Amino acid sequence: MLYPLFEWHGVGNGMLMAIIATYHILPCHLATGAFWITYFMERKAYQENDLAMLEFVKKYSLLVLIFCFVTGSLTGAGIWYAATLISPRAISGLIHNYVWGWATEWVFFLIEIVTIYTYYYTFGKISRKAHLRIGLIYAMSAWLSMVIITGILGFMLTPGKWSETGLFFDGFFNPSYWPQLFVRTAFMFVVGGSYAAIVASFLKDPEVKSKAMKVAAKWGLGGLIVGGLFTVWYFTKIPATAKTIIFEDLAFTQTMFKVAIGAGVLLFIYFGVWGFMKSKTAGPIPAIIAMLILFVGICAGETVREMARRPYLIPGYMYSNQMIAKDMKPKGVKSEVAKFNKEGVLKNYYFAPDSVKEIDASNFMAAGRILTKLECISCHTVESNGFFSIPKLMVKFGAKTPEEVYDFLDALDDYNYMPPFVGTEKEKRAMAAYIASLVNPDQKADPAWVLGN
Amino acid sequence: MDLAQVLNGLRDPMGVPFYPWLFQVLMVLTFALHIIFVNLAIGGSFMAVYEHYKKGENNKRLSRFLARSSTVNLSAAVVLGVAPLLFVQVVYDPFWYVSNLLSAWWAVGFLCFVTAAFLALYAFYLKRNPESGMQGFGFFGWFTFGLLLLAGFTMHLLSVQFLEPEKWKLWYLSGTVMNTSGTTIYDFRISRYLHFIIPSFAITGVFMMLYGWFFSTRKDMDRDYLHWVAVSGAKMALWATLVQIIIGFWWLFDLPKNLSFTSNIFLWIGVILGVIFFLILMAAQKAPEKYAVISALFAFLAVLGMSVSREVLRMVYLGKFNYSIYTYKLNIHWGSTALFLLTFVMGIVVMAYPLMVAWKLGRYGSTTEEGA
Repeated sequence: MLYPLFEWHGVGNGMLMAIIATYHILPCHLATGAFWITYFMERKAYQENDLAMLEFVKKYSLLVLIFCFVTGSLTGAGIWYAATLISPRAISGLIHNYVWGWATEWVFFLIEIVTIYTYYYTFGKISRKAHLRIGLIYAMSAWLSMVIITGILGFMLTPGKWSETGLFFDGFFNPSYWPQLFVRTAFMFVVGGSYAAIVASFLKDPEVKSKAMKVAAKWGLGGLIVGGLFTVWYFTKIPATAKTIIFEDLAFTQTMFKVAIGAGVLLFIYFGVWGFMKSKTAGPIPAIIAMLILFVGICAGETVREMARRPYLIPGYMYSNQMIAKDMKPKGVKSEVAKFNKEGVLKNYYFAPDSVKEIDASNFMAAGRILTKLECISCHTVESNGFFSIPKLMVKFGAKTPEEVYDFLDALDDYNYMPPFVGTEKEKRAMAAYIASLVNPDQKADPAWVLGN
Repeated sequence: MDLAQVLNGLRDPMGVPFYPWLFQVLMVLTFALHIIFVNLAIGGSFMAVYEHYKKGENNKRLSRFLARSSTVNLSAAVVLGVAPLLFVQVVYDPFWYVSNLLSAWWAVGFLCFVTAAFLALYAFYLKRNPESGMQGFGFFGWFTFGLLLLAGFTMHLLSVQFLEPEKWKLWYLSGTVMNTSGTTIYDFRISRYLHFIIPSFAITGVFMMLYGWFFSTRKDMDRDYLHWVAVSGAKMALWATLVQIIIGFWWLFDLPKNLSFTSNIFLWIGVILGVIFFLILMAAQKAPEKYAVISALFAFLAVLGMSVSREVLRMVYLGKFNYSIYTYKLNIHWGSTALFLLTFVMGIVVMAYPLMVAWKLGRYGSTTEEGA
């Protein structure tokens, strides 16, 4: 059964997820990557008795703490909130499959929080060995949280054998699991290195700055090279349809892909130039610009991954608009498409007004409006100024009259990335009438046509 | 369409991967832990600002301690909040999702309120400088406190709307127009809200008692200061608990009469635990350090008792609509259940180490001379 709807008018619901989820990637990868860097820096500083470097490590860990444990943990929970508001049935489906995965990840969060605060507040007050050990426990548990969440993320694009068995580990260790884990592991060092470069760029002493910048750049460059290679491996593991969507169907994803590559190249140059050639004089401005480039690159990369999931939210099971596309036999779930095509979507939607459940000449526009929102607003907007605006797309595809929109809806699933229209013939016509009125408000559909008389 | 049918229809059709009672037990337990840290963050940030504006040296010192500990407590509250947020979606998905969707911007606002509260708290903790008399950043402390109250209110309204499925459709529709804006607040109950907020001062009072007791073994700490903190904490905890008991009855009489909750055994277990806690606090007034640990234990039991009765009350509420979590479709998966339980046990063992290090350092001071 479908839930009530939420609409970010004029902007689009997808933007809510884009803002929260892409932002989350910075602090979460920093939380997992940063402490490997601090661990090695702290150990080296002890060996060389380098007090200035220890001061740097302490400062860096405080900034990691604030950044990750304020914005990181909240935006992490925020992804659930955004998913709830955009696609409650999809997040519900994921949670009902992977609740123990998330609960396991949560145990690592607990360890992280206990160790990071202990690490920071015991700096210089306990034995060096014990302090390093606490830092290492943090680094390992943070990375293990990534080991867990990558299983769920990978599942969302390549569910593997899960589609036949419905089993937790079949979905978890899916075809893209290992390459994605290695890609994320490599890129977490890029985020960690980039953040370390910002902290280092504020240091006064040129010798300490140069040393810290070099460490940051080595981790950053290493992460970029290794991560790049694993990305190639990752692309060999994703389905052919996903690749078609990314590289052929949508100009948007092609652009995003280029942006991600471009960001990688620019970061490579940054680490090379400011990390080695200008390490003594590296200032905060290039470091902050590099971080922004990294952010844009991550946004673009994750957008590509998200778009490749179309037309599904849970591949082979649930469409982007939350309708259950196919039977999930091992879990005893039946597809809704056939049922809704026969009985009607509105009749099966508790939250629809009773007066529109039977479509007639007086209510077809209201029915069309509700259907359009139910089937489209998880990705599109009904306003002409929003992202993926329906009226704008209709103009682009030359579907302006009710009849043209109807034909477009009829062939919707000819597009790789679009789910089919679901509902009865009358519902399809009512939706076409409403969408045509979005393109041209003066355009009134003929009730006789809508009702099929 | 029958409402019971609708509620069951909104559930995830794939079912739950283990018996619902385990999710329920984990949800109640983690909620109790979560709300204790929420109370510490709210009460701690309030007291940190309050003491910041007082003249005495002890007040300033206490303010510094409370500001610093509130940053940790707020982090703990957020992380501990993730677990009940997860488990509520497993067994009460229809209710949680609908309530969030109806007031969507408030749900998003919650994240913004807590994030802003957190940043303001760090600004308050790191940037003000009591010694030099720079009190300008005190404002950030009030800001933190206010935002945390607002965040609490948001969770409160989402939890109240959760319990009223019979009103959802009326709220959502006006004629043929669906209210998809997500900006509206549909229901809240002040007595219930205060019942979650007032304990902040009792729990923070006990926290101050524990502080006085914990550092009493340290030679480098001022005894008079520590004793003063413990005495102030015990007094605050006592008064707050008294107010909490009165509000508890207000909230109880505020409940819909048809629930007959006043005859529920779980409610009275919660009440009895609360009263025992109150009696211990009365005894603790003369020697708060001596009673600190036992007070903390009973504070925890009272909160746990209240969390259990809150869950029982929820079951009574939803029972009216023939909703029971125990009838959730099962698709049991032992492997992933074991993965979590084993990791959980491992996690407790691993966490014991840093906690032990921190404990030793706190009670006996620096354990090394080689520290840099």
